[in-house]
Amino acid sequence: MNRHTLFGGAYALAFFSFLFGPLVIMATTAFNSSRFPRVAPWECFTTGWFGELFGNARLMEGLMNSVIIGVGVVALAVPIGLAGALALSELPPKLRSMLYTVLILPILIPGVVLGISTIVLWGQITRGTGAGFLYNGYFLTIVGQITFVSAYAMLVFIARLQRFDATQTEAALDLGATPGQAFRKILLPFMAPAIGSAAFITLLASFENYNTTVFTVLSESTFTTALASKVRHGTDPSLSALAVIIITLTLVGALTNEAYQRRKEAESGGRASRSPLYANPVTRALTHPGIVFAILVTVIGGITYAGSQYDSSVCEAAVLQEKLDRQEELRAEQRARIEAQEAEQGVTVPKPDSAFGGAFGGVGTPAAPAAPKPESPSAFGGAFGGITAPEVDE
Amino acid sequence: MKQLKLAYTTLLAKHGMGAALFVAISVSLWVVLFITLPQLSMLDYSFRFNLPADQLGTDADHYTLDQYRSFFFNNDGSVNTLDIMILVRTLIAALIVTVIDVLICYPIAYILAHGAKGVAARLMVIGLIIPYWINEILRAFAFRVLFGSTGVVNTWGMQMGLWDAPVDFIRADVALYCGLAYAYILLMVFPMYNAIEALDHTQVEAARDMGAPLWRVHWRVVLPMAKPGIVSGATMVFMLTAGALAAPQILGGPSSLWFTQLIYQWFNESSNWPRGSAYAVVLLVTCITFVLLMMRVFKVSVGEIGK
Amino acid sequence: MPDQTPDRIPDRSVLLDHVSIRFGNFTAVDNANLKINSGEFFSFLGPSGCGKTTMLRCISGFSEPTEGKVLIGGKDMAGVGPNKRPTALIFQHLALFPLMSVAENIAFPLEVRGVSKKARRKKADELLDMIALPGIGDKKVSELSGGQKQRVAIARALAVEPDILLLDEPLSALDLKLRQHMRTELRAIQKQVGVTFIYITHDQGEALTMSDRVAVMSRGVIEQVGEPDHIYNRPRSAFVASFVGENNALQGVIKGQSGDLAALETPMGTYEARVGGGRKYKAGDEALLFVRPEQLIPGATENAFHATLTRQEFEGATNHVFAKAGDTELRISMVNAGLAGSLPGQGESLSLGFQPMNGTILPVGHMASDS
Repeated sequence: MNRHTLFGGAYALAFFSFLFGPLVIMATTAFNSSRFPRVAPWECFTTGWFGELFGNARLMEGLMNSVIIGVGVVALAVPIGLAGALALSELPPKLRSMLYTVLILPILIPGVVLGISTIVLWGQITRGTGAGFLYNGYFLTIVGQITFVSAYAMLVFIARLQRFDATQTEAALDLGATPGQAFRKILLPFMAPAIGSAAFITLLASFENYNTTVFTVLSESTFTTALASKVRHGTDPSLSALAVIIITLTLVGALTNEAYQRRKEAESGGRASRSPLYANPVTRALTHPGIVFAILVTVIGGITYAGSQYDSSVCEAAVLQEKLDRQEELRAEQRARIEAQEAEQGVTVPKPDSAFGGAFGGVGTPAAPAAPKPESPSAFGGAFGGITAPEVDE
Repeated sequence: MKQLKLAYTTLLAKHGMGAALFVAISVSLWVVLFITLPQLSMLDYSFRFNLPADQLGTDADHYTLDQYRSFFFNNDGSVNTLDIMILVRTLIAALIVTVIDVLICYPIAYILAHGAKGVAARLMVIGLIIPYWINEILRAFAFRVLFGSTGVVNTWGMQMGLWDAPVDFIRADVALYCGLAYAYILLMVFPMYNAIEALDHTQVEAARDMGAPLWRVHWRVVLPMAKPGIVSGATMVFMLTAGALAAPQILGGPSSLWFTQLIYQWFNESSNWPRGSAYAVVLLVTCITFVLLMMRVFKVSVGEIGK
Repeated sequence: MPDQTPDRIPDRSVLLDHVSIRFGNFTAVDNANLKINSGEFFSFLGPSGCGKTTMLRCISGFSEPTEGKVLIGGKDMAGVGPNKRPTALIFQHLALFPLMSVAENIAFPLEVRGVSKKARRKKADELLDMIALPGIGDKKVSELSGGQKQRVAIARALAVEPDILLLDEPLSALDLKLRQHMRTELRAIQKQVGVTFIYITHDQGEALTMSDRVAVMSRGVIEQVGEPDHIYNRPRSAFVASFVGENNALQGVIKGQSGDLAALETPMGTYEARVGGGRKYKAGDEALLFVRPEQLIPGATENAFHATLTRQEFEGATNHVFAKAGDTELRISMVNAGLAGSLPGQGESLSLGFQPMNGTILPVGHMASDS
């Protein structure tokens, strides 16, 4: 059994390295001054990419649009999802599974299909009625996203509804409440936490969505579509800076939520209530979700301030100078070699900059042909070319 | 219809007029206006010519199979192998990604359900969810950083002497497969976890006690229990992978188009909506047929999905 | 709760007028026809699935009878919803609202009737005093013990000022000691408020100790209605005889009947016993003889079984003795005579007689063990 536990642990470690490795590396590149997002070679520690990120007008405009659309989607998808869950709870089994299939389908249908069908339908409606105001990116994106985002909300509500004791509603009715009062005073308060999480999930889904939105948003752009077009047309570490921000927010949210959940569990008298953490008044206060949140925000605020004061220009200038020197050196070497070859053979000139150009082409532009093997005759030259040659970007 | 009415009256009696109307109206709107009508409208569009606005509604505007014909055949009548192959490649790639996800997620789902306890289990759940909160585009971008020619993989690989020159992982689609498999891990782990968790752990212990080797315990005891979860997760991963657009755009090599990119081109670059609609219909029908076929093979119903 | 008009005693009776309830082809309640009197403590007793809960839901208004009528206080309740009926229901798992405090729970019926917050609180405190739990109004429901929850549920139901209080096995989740205590308490509350209690249970101890009258149900049919001692001593059907209390049953053929007594021929011999339900038998009719374990007297030679003692179970005040007569195992209850008495030894043969009035002859029918 012990051997298996060991294997399980090792596997879990490998699995989570795969989950977090890419994120950690991406986040790290946000602090490297290299124009291309990478960790090696490390040039200078910088916080400049954050400034560059906030200076990107298209992204910031997209952010505003995303917020508007997100609010619209949450306001509509959460009630629709709730209605779906309630409808399913009252249907006879056969009809229930039929409706469930129909309502869950939008999650499975490719996002592009949803996007296309939305603009096609509303295009036709617009032509048919002349209601041109309907045909705009905000409206179409909200409508298109609702189609599948509501299903996410519904899944949350179904899970919560399954834990609802139906005799609670009956008890309320029996005690003289009208059905409407029972709904408002008993069922809705019970669903309240689910409404919160459904709102969060739908907001996230709306914010993140690309496949549907890229069609429905028409000439506008959301945060995600702006991000995608930026990634497609050349990248720089300001995107990594964005990732750092999102990861930080996520971690703060997750930790605060964890503190909240633990505390709730402790208060309802679980195993955690006997933990010494909650017995000691100091640690008890420290583990309050509000305090946890405040501490995290303070620490991050401090780091952000310190980072904004950091000046990497001296280091960057030095690196730039070094690069120029190196380039000059390489060029001189090349020239010397060509001259030497010409002098020796006087016939064909070899392809210039082969090792240099090949590796260089591979950087950043996936369209470039596969890097040819460096043609230097010596083994030393090959290794050298592979590791250190592609110093220059752009 | 009668049953619908009965459900409505139950709602009315239980939750009152306001709630019953709210449910009836919302669900009808959702099913009719948001789910059904757009699909019908797209289907209708796919049987039309791509006409300029002033010719719509004239005699030239009639139904045609033209858009579908051009998917299967070139103008000269030869088979349109280019587009068909893109579809086939997309489906195969989606299948590969799905299988990869099943393989890497099964052990984690099992460990989460029956191995990890307390803090470790909570940390694992949080660890699974956090990457899912990061924007899809950024997750793809992370893999571009990782697999670029000066990316970490190339740098370390060459430092360790595994290969001499930077390998173009993007062209080889390695980055794309990794990125897609990564993107939908959560959708695979949780249905599997839910299914495996329902298994009484003493069954595993009993099987072990009777001397069955670990692989046999999994094959005979755990896997049958996990099957609905696996099919549910696999369906979602397959459909989302086949329908992915952002990851192929960001991580795809120049020579390997995803079918969704083709649709995107017809819409946004060629402005040929009927053609794009027809291609979208082709994608939708193929994917759904494929999934239903798989469900038939593995004897699982649609109702299991999303649980 | 006393009515506002003291000169008129409120009619708190329930009349089930040929009530049948069907779900598709399944008949849950079959032609129930009985009157529950004003101010009575009335129990429906039966095994699970006998239709007693369906009956309760029909009285409280959660379902309508397929046939027949339900009258409460002389008024037909057809089409009157649960929130409009003068009934209050205490659910099996109480259905207290977990998100509300104890006082909010109790005052919920007043809240939905638009009573002011202050008046609500006052009433809640009054009711808390009545159930002897003053000052817990601000607690959460989850902080209460099982017995406290029980009493809060009763207080909440009484806040409606109902004419009829319906109780759906509310004691089943409690442990034995608390259950016995709550029996006494429920009975006392009922006497105090004068409301008609309709109590549903599968526990005959509860039904027999608390009730004024009991209806025994099986398979949707009301087998017998009567006072607890009648139900126990004068069962009218094989089911009632076998379900309520322990009983020895022997099958045989009637040899003859004279008035209340009949002779039944069984493989062990011929026995004389009272005819249950005042029925008339012909010679040759098949019938069942029921004799309670405590009515079999060792040593009595008239109307007796000749049996061999097989085993004993000691249970404090009572000894359960088992003896074999022919193919039938008889069960005998003997009061523990203490150190002065003596127990018969195993394998000993003995004669077990009974008074003809203490045996009951009933027609062949399904027994409690058949379900």
